[in-house]
Amino acid sequence: MLKINWFSPLPPARSGIAQNFAMQVLPALARHYDVVLWTDQDQVAPEVQRIARVARYDPAAPPWRDLNDGSISIYHLGNHPDFHGGIWRVSVRQPGIVVLHDLCLHDFFFRVWIHSGRDRNSYLAALERWYGEEGRRAGEAFCNGGISPASMALQFPLTREATRGALGVITHSGQSLAELKETPACPMAALDHPYVAAEEPRYQRWLAARSAVPHPPYRLIVFGYLSRNRRLEAVLEALAGIPEREQFLLEVCGEIWDEGRIRTQIENLGLSSLVKLLGFLPEGLVEQKLSTAHMAINLRYPSMGEASGSQLQLWDYGLPTLVTRTGWYGSLPEDAAAFVRPENEVEDIQTHLRAFLKNPAVFRAMGERGRRSLKNNDPEKYVDAMARFATEALRRSPQVPALALAGRIGSDLSTWLHPAASAYLLDRASREIAALCEDRRKLP
Amino acid sequence: MKILIATSSVPFIRGGAEILANNLRDAIAAAGHEAELVSIPFKHYPPERIADHMLACRLLDLTETCGVRIDRVIALKFPAYLIAHPNKVIWLLHQHRTAYELWDHPRAGDLIHGPDGPVIRDAIRQADRELIPEAKAIFTLSENVSGRLRRFSGIDSEPLYNPPAHAQLFYKGPTGDYLFFPSRITGVKRQWLAIRALAQCRERVRLRFAGEADSPMQQAECDNAVRELKLTDRVEWLGRVSEEQKRDLYANCLGVVFPPVDEDYGYVTLEALLSSKPVITCSDSGGSLEFVVDRQTGLVAQPTPESLAQAMDTLWTDRQRAAVMGEAGRARYEDLKISWENVVEKLLC
Repeated sequence: MLKINWFSPLPPARSGIAQNFAMQVLPALARHYDVVLWTDQDQVAPEVQRIARVARYDPAAPPWRDLNDGSISIYHLGNHPDFHGGIWRVSVRQPGIVVLHDLCLHDFFFRVWIHSGRDRNSYLAALERWYGEEGRRAGEAFCNGGISPASMALQFPLTREATRGALGVITHSGQSLAELKETPACPMAALDHPYVAAEEPRYQRWLAARSAVPHPPYRLIVFGYLSRNRRLEAVLEALAGIPEREQFLLEVCGEIWDEGRIRTQIENLGLSSLVKLLGFLPEGLVEQKLSTAHMAINLRYPSMGEASGSQLQLWDYGLPTLVTRTGWYGSLPEDAAAFVRPENEVEDIQTHLRAFLKNPAVFRAMGERGRRSLKNNDPEKYVDAMARFATEALRRSPQVPALALAGRIGSDLSTWLHPAASAYLLDRASREIAALCEDRRKLP
Repeated sequence: MKILIATSSVPFIRGGAEILANNLRDAIAAAGHEAELVSIPFKHYPPERIADHMLACRLLDLTETCGVRIDRVIALKFPAYLIAHPNKVIWLLHQHRTAYELWDHPRAGDLIHGPDGPVIRDAIRQADRELIPEAKAIFTLSENVSGRLRRFSGIDSEPLYNPPAHAQLFYKGPTGDYLFFPSRITGVKRQWLAIRALAQCRERVRLRFAGEADSPMQQAECDNAVRELKLTDRVEWLGRVSEEQKRDLYANCLGVVFPPVDEDYGYVTLEALLSSKPVITCSDSGGSLEFVVDRQTGLVAQPTPESLAQAMDTLWTDRQRAAVMGEAGRARYEDLKISWENVVEKLLC
């Protein structure tokens, strides 16, 4: 049986991966496998400790002896350095399965190296490693404020920096790493993001709560950790720009990357009576807000590429949703969401808001279709696919030291042997390294 | 025939494997062939160095020397047995044990303490699984080593016993007033277990250790334990002794204590049998269990201080029985017909 070292943010961390993803997957995972939940958080919620054993690690000195009792480590990486910094530090030292919750990780590395560590050299070296001199120059320009964060994230996602040395990579998106030119040198799997949909009676209660207020002002909701790419500024601008704005009430639930800036904008646009900033809400209040909202706005631009657990949660409540036509969101069924083009953002948001006022029923049907699609996201299926992938990826384990060895040989030869003379030796060494790590067994 | 014996060794460390390689070379020469040793210096840390050594072995060409064909390579140890040769025979002394049965051993495990331990372990296992079968025949040092090779790598092999050096010179002397523990002083030989057992003996058993420590730290650990347990008047550290002294120590002891962790083979057991002395070993001591039959040629204790102490007390108080078991041990050795002639015949067939 697989013994799994699981590294992810865990409740009470204010992260969707902790609050939703982990809590959806871990019960199913722990039912079938021996799981240890590794954390560097100060606190872990009691309900997590009821699912599996929680163990602590120091990212600077991980307890390798204990970790090596496991068969494989599964590292969950996303863009928030507070939640994923420690996990990444372990993952670079011990190969395992890397689960990407964002496909563009430039922000993560920038914040880990520049904001937290003031390690400009590592940041620039990583850019040079994957994108050559162009990457380094762009990094220098970015550090000096010459390039926008969005542009850096899209052009230089640095995702390979996170998957380098991994035994396997799991994503939750139809959008491939190949499209981003970030294909890792290991097997990949795209799995449907897991989600446990609420039982029907509960869903009916939510519908009833929503129907209790069938008239304007309609409640719009934005929720989750609200980084800049959540487009809150564009949403506010769109709302302010339509005469029918008084028919909406916008509730913003979640931490905002720059709350002062947003408050100023709300004031300047004259939206103070229509927009409420509620901050991070406990689960119970989130439920109350989502069950009484009429429509959600869940934009991303630039998209960091990954599937959104929050979108699945919005669908669970049967909420019609505005999404950006980009990344994973762009691959959602046309009839289950309303799309916003990044280049016509404000205009499209306004069009959808007006359409909603004209015919709310069309939007309600959209949300219901989203909820029905959740049957594809069964965590049991997810856990089964993940374990099969991990078992297969483990067979690649001997290739990790073999590749490192190949790198050392290439680097060493280049220092003392002329390229023409080294060809024979490189060829011999390559063949013998392949012989050392080749697995000729057939899979059952 | 021109025969190369390929092995690996840790510089400045000399143990049973080095003695065996020399004896094999001499035995092959005695059988009328040319034989030489090729020993690969092996450094097992940091872990990635192990992969370097594996590749180094694969890159060696031992098929010819000065235009003359080398007829056979007899490979003994990891990673030397990875050397390719069309007429390679492996006589496996052991695989890289901390990638296998000693992976999670509390004292011997080393790879398990590092971040890349699992991938290095897997690389060693994969190379063994794929490349050991390149040999045209696979023999091992003992049934114990064959069992591990089958269990971990799925490879069948034939155990091939060999006699200790100068087997004909071992003799039986008068029964002395001490138990004898000859071995390198290192964690897996478990001198520490014997010391703790001594502290639990009801009798005033005396124990004489012979052999050098792998590191000063290991000797210091043992010395400290003896001091803390107030055993200084019952323990004697003889250090490195000559072959002649060693034979005398065997000949004149009451019995031999040999409780290692999963020993591959264990010359100590054979030398004790040749000296007609009973052997106290442990149920997890591996190779010695192929020769020690509990209460016939020695005593098999559990690997705990209490159990080992009980066995030591038994020998100490019942010397008549100890002598009978010693004689039975010698007879068992004779029955096994262990000889270098047999080893050479098998390896060259």
